[in-house]
Amino acid sequence: MTTAKLRPRSPDVQIYKPQLTSVLSIVHRMTGVFLSLGSVLLVAWLVAVVDGGDTYAMVERWLRSWIGLLLLLGWTFALFYHLCNGIRHLAWDLDFGFELRSIYLSGWTVVAASMILTVLTWTLGLAVLE
Amino acid sequence: MSDWKRHDPLNRNPATARSSALYRAIGLGSAKSGAHHWWVQRVTAVALVPLLVWLVASLLAHARGDHQVLALWLGQPAVAVTMAVLLMALFWHMKLGLRVIVEDYVHADRVKFAALIAVDLVCLALLAIGVFASLYLAFR
Amino acid sequence: MLIKSSKQVSRWRTPKRFPVSRNSGASPASRIEPGVSWPEPEGATRVQRFKVYRHDPESGKNPRIDTYAIDRDKCGPMLLDALIKIKNEIDPTLTFRRSCREGVCGSCAMNIDGTNWLACIRSLDEISEPSTVYPLNNMDVIKDLVGDQTHVLAQYQSITPWLRSKTPAPAGHERLQSPEERKRLDGDYECILCFCCTAGCPSHWWNGDRFLGPAILLQAHRWLVDSRDEATGERLDELEDPFKLYRCHTILNCTRTCPKGLNPGKKIAEIKLMIQQRRS
Ligand code: SF4
Ligand code: SF4
Ligand code: FES
Repeated sequence: MTTAKLRPRSPDVQIYKPQLTSVLSIVHRMTGVFLSLGSVLLVAWLVAVVDGGDTYAMVERWLRSWIGLLLLLGWTFALFYHLCNGIRHLAWDLDFGFELRSIYLSGWTVVAASMILTVLTWTLGLAVLE
Repeated sequence: MSDWKRHDPLNRNPATARSSALYRAIGLGSAKSGAHHWWVQRVTAVALVPLLVWLVASLLAHARGDHQVLALWLGQPAVAVTMAVLLMALFWHMKLGLRVIVEDYVHADRVKFAALIAVDLVCLALLAIGVFASLYLAFR
Repeated sequence: MLIKSSKQVSRWRTPKRFPVSRNSGASPASRIEPGVSWPEPEGATRVQRFKVYRHDPESGKNPRIDTYAIDRDKCGPMLLDALIKIKNEIDPTLTFRRSCREGVCGSCAMNIDGTNWLACIRSLDEISEPSTVYPLNNMDVIKDLVGDQTHVLAQYQSITPWLRSKTPAPAGHERLQSPEERKRLDGDYECILCFCCTAGCPSHWWNGDRFLGPAILLQAHRWLVDSRDEATGERLDELEDPFKLYRCHTILNCTRTCPKGLNPGKKIAEIKLMIQQRRS
């Protein structure tokens, strides 16, 4: 069986077509990891609020820099996406919405909802700042 | 094209393996666990839905970032406790999620075990610091 | 696009592949090399081209992509017809499995334009030009489009796909089921074990040595809901494992691709629910 060792493995992720199913799933995972990083910021921010003074001023300045705002925007979207898609997963866990039509309908709904919620949040946030 | 080449410290599948395909498919058998992980991930997910909506709303209300206002807000016992509960659900959920990601992609046992321990410890540390900070102003 | 059945091919011009290079992560023996273009048919008005994965184990060379072209006016309606035409008229060494040519045996499962489906029921009207044809994903390739199914079939064997019952069979007749009990097997018994779903499941790509994959878990479900089987508890014990069952992350590539219109993702969720049911 010398040929067995030389057998190639057929390609998978390299050639498989991205579909709503797999794309939304990998985005769920990526937003989860990104939010994990955000949780470090949440803790740092809480510590800064408690500490007050210079620490708070520093965190605050960083958050209001363009890179901080960009990251906050990213975290807002990631949070809403993970939240909405998480609810979709919870429905599946209860055996709801498994027909392909529902899978696609709920998938596109999640995409739209997380974008709308992000825009809404930032509109409100900027209104508060006015 | 993952070749499923795993680090094999117990040498169950040596290069000279003559084992059957069934032997390899069975592997080490069922761990008879996973149901608890699944359940807790759902419990924390359900808890996080209202808690995160509350967090976003609260942060929005304090978007100006006035430190005095913020300190007063976090100094309220109800806010402090809600924040602490949120952090517990959050880091528990995060620990479970990151564990799955490590198991999915890291196939070398020693690296995997190290990464799993690191995930648990980092989540625990962040939780401890976060809970302490949340409760400090209200209960000092 | 809103997809209503697994038969539907998306009409949207979305990317054909994920942004990873064709050979990323491939072992030296798995790297795909450029192949040859076979002559085009003369005087054809409707030419269809195919980029086909080829591997000849006796050549000692790496897999390659060969390009074939056929005249649609002189070919049957399905992709399998085109492959047979290529084998008959252009290149007799092209190797693939087929048997029933009507979607009931599961032999001709392959990756067509990036998704898994049966060649005999994929119309040439539904494929792109040029079309790409690969073997099912993440299998050791025996030759061309023929993957080695030893491992996935061993996984099938590992779930004991037979009736496990302690009550002796009644004398003179079969073990009986009511029509309602029989109905619970619907959506499971139709599976033809083509492995389109398992080969298209990302979780099986990364951890297929330990994760059973959608096809086998759907089969496991079939025995869990059989009213004549008395090993339900043992079966759930054997499945309750972070890898064997819980590597399924409900990605649902399986349900999207099943050429029999079955729903492995749903059946796996039902197994997970059964496990929660018995512990709370
Ligand atoms: S569930 Fe569908 S795709 Fe999977 S093996 Fe069975 S028939 Fe094929
Ligand atoms: S639902 Fe589960 S089995 Fe189906 S493709 Fe996704 S991970 Fe694989
Ligand atoms: S030849 Fe039988 S399913 Fe295609």
